[in-house]
Parts: sequence; structure tokens; C-alpha cells
Amino acid sequence: MIEVDDKKITWSEHMTVSSLLKNLEDVESCAVVRLNGRLVSSPDFSETKIPDNSRIQLLPLVAGG
Amino acid sequence: MEQIHLKEIKSVSYEKAEIKKGYTDQSLRVNLDSNDIIINPIQEKIKNKFIGGKGYDLWLMWNAVSGDTKWNDPENAICISSGPLGGTPGYPGGGKSIVTSISPLTGAPIDSNVGGYFGPYKKFSGFDVIQVDGKAKENTIVLIDGIENKIKIFEAKDLPTDSYELSKVLTRHFDETKPVNVSVVTAGPGAAHTFFGCLNFSWWDAGRKMVRYKQAGRGGIGTVFADKKLKAIVARFGAVSMKSNNPADLDALKLVTKTHAKEIHELDPKQNRMALVGTIHLVPIMNDHDCLPVHNFKFGSHPESRVIGEEVYEHIFDKGFDGCWKGCAVACAHGVKDFSPFTGPYRGKKVFVDGPEYETVAGCGSNLGIFDAQTILEINFYCDAYGLDTISVGTSLGFVMECFENNQITKEHTGGMDLSFGSRFNALEIIHQMARGEGFGAIVGKGIRKMKEIFAKDFGADMAFMQDIGMESKGLEFSEYITKESLAQQGGYGLALKGPQHDEAWLIFLDMVHNFMPTFENKAEALHWFPMFRTWFALCGLCKLPWNDIVPEDNKNNPEPAKVVKHIGWYADFFSAVTGRKTSSDDLISMSEAVYNFQRIFNLKMGYGTRQHDALPYRAVGPVTVEEYESRQKRYDGQLKEKYGLDITGMDSTDKVAALRKKREEQYELLKDAVYERRGWNKNGIPTVKTVKRLGIDFPEVMEVLKKNGVV
Ligand code: SF4
Repeated sequence: MIEVDDKKITWSEHMTVSSLLKNLEDVESCAVVRLNGRLVSSPDFSETKIPDNSRIQLLPLVAGG
Repeated sequence: MEQIHLKEIKSVSYEKAEIKKGYTDQSLRVNLDSNDIIINPIQEKIKNKFIGGKGYDLWLMWNAVSGDTKWNDPENAICISSGPLGGTPGYPGGGKSIVTSISPLTGAPIDSNVGGYFGPYKKFSGFDVIQVDGKAKENTIVLIDGIENKIKIFEAKDLPTDSYELSKVLTRHFDETKPVNVSVVTAGPGAAHTFFGCLNFSWWDAGRKMVRYKQAGRGGIGTVFADKKLKAIVARFGAVSMKSNNPADLDALKLVTKTHAKEIHELDPKQNRMALVGTIHLVPIMNDHDCLPVHNFKFGSHPESRVIGEEVYEHIFDKGFDGCWKGCAVACAHGVKDFSPFTGPYRGKKVFVDGPEYETVAGCGSNLGIFDAQTILEINFYCDAYGLDTISVGTSLGFVMECFENNQITKEHTGGMDLSFGSRFNALEIIHQMARGEGFGAIVGKGIRKMKEIFAKDFGADMAFMQDIGMESKGLEFSEYITKESLAQQGGYGLALKGPQHDEAWLIFLDMVHNFMPTFENKAEALHWFPMFRTWFALCGLCKLPWNDIVPEDNKNNPEPAKVVKHIGWYADFFSAVTGRKTSSDDLISMSEAVYNFQRIFNLKMGYGTRQHDALPYRAVGPVTVEEYESRQKRYDGQLKEKYGLDITGMDSTDKVAALRKKREEQYELLKDAVYERRGWNKNGIPTVKTVKRLGIDFPEVMEVLKKNGVV
């Protein structure tokens, strides 16, 4: 089980940030997530594996300075 | 405390204007030639059109200067304003000052939005805006004392030379028992010897019991300040409350303040954690999206950037409340305690460093090839103490380093210093030289535009190459984002009124990452809406960060998430509650549009403000060199083939650089056309008579400027 923005989601083997986002709604503007406290940006989504029991926060649209 | 000597040369008592609905309806003018202190009413029609803040500054500036005025002429003014909403304690970002002057770098009006308590204290002392002009003969301090209701001018002797110490000493001097009542504006020795001097605005950190600083950084207003022999402007005022603005509807004000602050308290820890890391979260994000400036904006990422990102600074920042305005829930103005510099006059002493923010880390770190958190802290500290804009310092030094590595300049010109990327000790030495106005640092302190002339004329450097790599536009150094893959952000920089600062528009992600604006029309719409809305913060005396750096949880469901529509509604409520003017979200845009176009015409009055002045160095648009092209060859080859339909077989990298350049430069010109049309400007980038009339800024003197430029 993983937690995405306080919601529990079933974990699966080989789960990546990309594959997770594909199954979520309204995430078109998500370019950065915090995976267990570490920032992961969209160019790395497909290579970033999500371990079981992870906590993920979907960060809102990056707004710049 | 150091012994300072202040000789009072003028003192005027005044009756404090009652604040009504966020306004005092008065301006204060201090002329340093004659020491005249003049209080003027602000007319209703000016208030309705210019709103406050930057609008008031620009109106006063327009009347103070002629088209021939240069930055160091006595009539050039420094204007500092709050705005009708400024000074609302507890409203996130509710206490900014907006500073304007004619810039030594651009020759046109520059504006800077800065924290600290000065703007609100000045307003509550009775003045919506202060204008300082003329030139003093001796070092001078101006005091606006809203407790005693006095304006005083002092000749000053035996002052500490740097801004860091000077603000401390003056805070204690003007209110020994209640330092929280004082906010000081100072420049520093670097401001006197460079063209990109900044101003430090102080605020009292009650938790740490010390003076803290925020910087009005851009465009050299500190240089103008120092040239006037102004050492400080001090505002003194007592307790501030929600009632201080005498709002039209106090209950509505309390409600909207509480709602916005509560949301930030709840959501910031789940989003960007600005209360912990400030804007430093952007370092790894920009790096990962290839947008972090590395080696003079050549590249957008570097493997070592992790050591200057949030993971490091989070542990270095001193814990505590860091709001540069009273009760700001974002509280992002972090600092580092007990830092011990390893160079310069503070070597070995313990100091508190206010910062760094993202711009300083990117500009003075990755852009210079300096991947060392401690060196960045030291650069940050000395820039503030000397009164230097860290953005212009970082971008200028990046240019110097690339020129050095390309043999455009050599050790013969730099006083024997190796200024290759990564030369951290020599970068620091240049900063110390800037403060002293000595050596090669004195040349660097003139900014990139002047350096290009000097390097070409005196050192025989290649002007065409320097035009391509020198990251300035309109004479102002770029702030710290790579724009090569975002045409919209190229416009965000190139079409910005004062020069390439991202406070008008930050569209990189919307454009490059999400492709939310695929057509020229989409980009033009964004380059209309965002600058207009962002201008509104500067009219009202607010900080922009709470608008879109923390967003409602349901924002993603909105069809236009980038606008953060719910917050715009709150800002309209905020404006209505304070001023009593029933205001909708759309009204905020029309307020700004008049001032925005007025500023464009102000540029025109000063001899700028047309299409040619919206030009960009090619480094901001695409790869200048083969090295840059080949570093991202797959991307660029793909674009040449797929986007532009070119057959690249047989082309070498030099041919490809040229082919891509032709296409990208064409695109930028097309973007200009689209944006000018959307803004109601002609092909030369000048507001049309129809636009000026629609916005109600068709004053005779405005029409005169348009006529002089062939717009009738
Ligand atoms: S959001 Fe940050 S910069 Fe803006 S007022 Fe608050 S503390 Fe200052």
C-alpha cells in the first residue's frame, strides 16, 4: 500500500511515478512529486520506481519566482 | 554601539493625515538640493487611475523627469510607495514596498518590489508615497517619524560603511527601546561603485531580536541612492493592526485574511514547504527540467546541483519565524545564523546571512560553476552588506567567466586572476573589488552592456560573440531561468517593461513542460494576462508568492489552474474590504492595464520602449555554440527535422546551429507581433491611441509622447 496525498492506493511491483499518474485523475499539471521526502521531476517520472509503503505528494503547478 | 554623529539640518512637524480605506491621500517630497520637505495631496483622479504602489511611483517619476534625464541627474527621483492594501498584518504577503527610479543600467524606469516594514510604516506615518530627488552635498539621512509626526533631515558622519552594520546602528539610534518601530532603507559601498546597487529594507526579527533585511535588487536603485549621498531613509511607527488601514469593512477583511492564511498553514507543508526552505525547492526542480542556469546560461542542469539545493539548505537555515511582513504565513525569508566568512572585512567573524533565495543560488552558484553552499552564502552576505544585486552580480560574473574561458579577456585584463567557471575565491575577490570600486571588479560592476563595449574597445574582444552570450536585455541582467525551450518565457523576459526579470510572467512550465499554450495566440494571451495580473500586486503593496506558490487543493480541477482563480477572488475581496470599491476579479486586470501601458509609454518618453528594445541575446533563445548544440543534439536535431521539416543529412553542427537560429529568431519576431496585437500596441510595440483612450491614460503629455513617435 502507498499513500498519495493522504489517500491509500494499492502498490504494485514495477510501479513508477509515470504509471501511478496514468491511473489518477486531474494530474495533467503535475510536473513534480515528493516521493518519501525527495523531489522527483517529470523527466524522471518513468524511471523512478515507487517502493511499497511510500508516501507521495503531488506538487501543484510549478509557479516560478 | 558605534558612535555616529547626526547633525539635524531640517525638521518639520506635520499633522498626520487620517488613513481612510487604505489611503492617506498624501505624498511626501524631500528635495536634497534645497532640503525642502513638501507634502502634497493626491488627487482623486490620480488615485482612481494609478491605484497606488507602482502606479503612484510612476506618476510622480513621470512628472519629475524629462525625456533627457539621466540616472545621475538631480531631478531623477527615487519613489517608494506602499499601496492601499499594504500594511495588513496577517494577510500573507501584505506589506511590500515598491521602489522606482530611472535606472543606471537601462536609462528607463525600473521598479523593484521588496519586503521589510518600511512601506507600511511610511504610509501609517501619513504618506502613500515618498519622492526623494536632488543631490545632497554631505552624507544625509532622512527620517519620517510617524510617532512624533516629524520629518527630519540629518547630515551624517562616522557611519558604518556597509548596509549590514548601518541598518543595525540606525535602528538602535532611532528607537533604542523599541527597535520594532523602525525600518531602515540603506545602500552600501558597492552601490556607490557599481551600476547595480541594491537597497536593503530592514525589518525587526522579534524572535531572534535582530535586524533583518530584504533587498530591492533590480536595476541599480541603490546606485541612484548612493549618488544622491543618501545614506539612509528611516521610517518610525508604532503598533500596526488590522485597523491601521481604516478598512471599509473590517469584518470582511478579517475573514479573507483568516481564510488565506489558514489555507497556507494547512497546505504549504504538503506543497513546496516554503516555510522551511523558501524558494530553494526550485533548485532541483529547475535542474531536472534543464532550466537551471549553468555556466552563463549555456546549460540547464549539472550533476553537482544537488549540493546547492533544498536538501542542503534546509539543514543550514536557522529555524524560526521568517516572515518579512508581520504575520505572513508563508514566512519564506530564511537565513543562516553564525556564518563565518572566509574572506573580506568580516573574515572570521560571525554574521547572520539573510538568504539565500533561489535566484542567488542559481545566479551566484550554478551559473558560475560554483557548487558550494558555503561560498554561495558568503557571496550572498557580501552582496547584501555592500548593497549589490545578487542577480546582476551572478549574471555579470557568468558573462565574464565565459569571456575568460574563450580568451576574449585574459589575466592581463583581470589583474592576474583566473576567472574560469568555478573560481570561487576570485569571484569573491571581484565582489570585494566592486565594493571598493577598484581593479577589474570596477569594470564588472558596470554591468554586461557596458562590459561588452569596454571588452570590445579596450581588449579587442569579439562584439558579435558577446552580444550572443551576454545575458542582458534593455541593459538589465537576466534573472535565473533558462528559456531556450520556452518561446513564451522568451517573451516573458524580452517583452517585460523594465528588462528581463521574471516578475511579469513565468510561463516556462505552462509552455515547455505542459504545452498548455501551443499557438502564438495562446502565448500572446498569457503574455497579456499574466503581466497585467502580476502588476496588480505592485499597485497594492503586496507580495506575489502567496498567490500561486501555495494553491488550493481543488485548483487542479479548474480549467485554468495557472491563474489560481480562487485566490484571485480572495484578492478582489481583499481590495473591496479595504478600499470599499466593490471589485471583481476582472477589475484587477483593468486596474493594472492602465498603469502597465503608462509604463511602456514612459519608456518611450525616455527614448526606449519600441520593438528594437525588446530584443534578446541569442543565448536566451537557442544554442549559440556547437558545444551547446551538441550537448542536447538529440533534442535539436529532432526539432530541425520534425518541427521545421528540414533535411539535416550532410549538415554539420555549425550548419545546424545556424539553421536552428534562423527558425527560432523568426519565431520570436512572430511572438512579438502576436503579443503587441493582443496588448493593443502597433507593430513597433507602441500602445495605439485607441488603447490609450480605452484605458483613460490619454493625458495631454502622454499624447504628446505618442505623437513625437509617430502614433496619432
Ligand atoms: S511570502 Fe515570503 S517574501 Fe512574501 S511577504 Fe511573505 S515572507 Fe516575505
